[in-house]
Amino acid sequence: MTMNYEEDEILRISHLKFIGKALSVFTHELNNHLAVLKESAGLLEDTLRFQQAGTGYDLDGSLNIIQSIENQIFKATRLCKNFNGFGHRMDNPLSAFSVNEALEELLALLIRPASQKKVGFEKDFQKDIPLAYNDPSRLQFLIFCLIEESLKSIENGSIILKTEYSEGLITIRISREGDFTETEKKDICSHNIAGRVAEQLGGSIYEETEGEGVNIMLPLSVTGEASNPELY
Amino acid sequence: MRDAKVLIVDDEVEFATALSERLQLRNYAAKAVFCAEDAFAITKAEQPDLMLLDLKMPGMHGREIVKTVKQFSPGIQVIILTGVSEDQILEEGIEGEVFDCIMKPVDISVLTQKIDEALKKRN
Repeated sequence: MTMNYEEDEILRISHLKFIGKALSVFTHELNNHLAVLKESAGLLEDTLRFQQAGTGYDLDGSLNIIQSIENQIFKATRLCKNFNGFGHRMDNPLSAFSVNEALEELLALLIRPASQKKVGFEKDFQKDIPLAYNDPSRLQFLIFCLIEESLKSIENGSIILKTEYSEGLITIRISREGDFTETEKKDICSHNIAGRVAEQLGGSIYEETEGEGVNIMLPLSVTGEASNPELY
Repeated sequence: MRDAKVLIVDDEVEFATALSERLQLRNYAAKAVFCAEDAFAITKAEQPDLMLLDLKMPGMHGREIVKTVKQFSPGIQVIILTGVSEDQILEEGIEGEVFDCIMKPVDISVLTQKIDEALKKRN
């Protein structure tokens, strides 16, 4: 499908929005980890100072605080590693990658925005899916758009992601459960635009049902050739 | 000002718990809760003097939390303690409803100074 200038511009802007949103979530998360570390370190300092002032030495209490600091450093390191992987997805427009890993990276960035609507993610990933040869960053962008759209219309629920491999095709299925609210106006990440991104990936989107519990399936080629090489 | 009842509302459990302990060591009657519903219950039951509120709580905007808490306890002072930018605080439209906004991470001496100023205003 040939895209006109306006559509191309909309896609470019929405991709930038996606990267901006990912950056803002990452920095917010990192800031939270730093805030926890600062309070924990401060509590340890307080504990030592108050003990010095004669309230007795609480070794277990101090060790618990140190353990809490180590746990927080572990969480922050995992966040950085995840985001580093996310950033490197953009190094090459085409590469062999694990669809499940690419989805995991993306979901890690969406957990907090989703939790603000009391929405969680459920993953049902087939484990032995072969590597896809495609554009992982563009795939993450597509799934981000679809999840963001879903988040506009539910609260107190779940978004369920399922991956499957069969006969040379990888299917990613996104469905939702929860309290449905009236869908807001479609924005630049509407299904229409998502369909065009899916085409760029050599796949397509199918809405299994309309209204509640919309399901979307995205077939991906694993043939070792770019699904739609003329785009690159 | 000391012994004042301070309610910390933040879904970051480790942060809220550590901050609560630090304030207790400084003789504030601090208590931490991790969701908006618990904040409403404590506000009703214990009428805290001041609330330290994270703006981004699951399931509810900071604006709604402030509005509801002030219905239960009109005199309560609120300090927003958050990691989001000041622009987002303005977007929430609550700058007139709260005593101050402090960005995380925060220095404990800066925070206790703000708490004392807010409590003076309450009294």
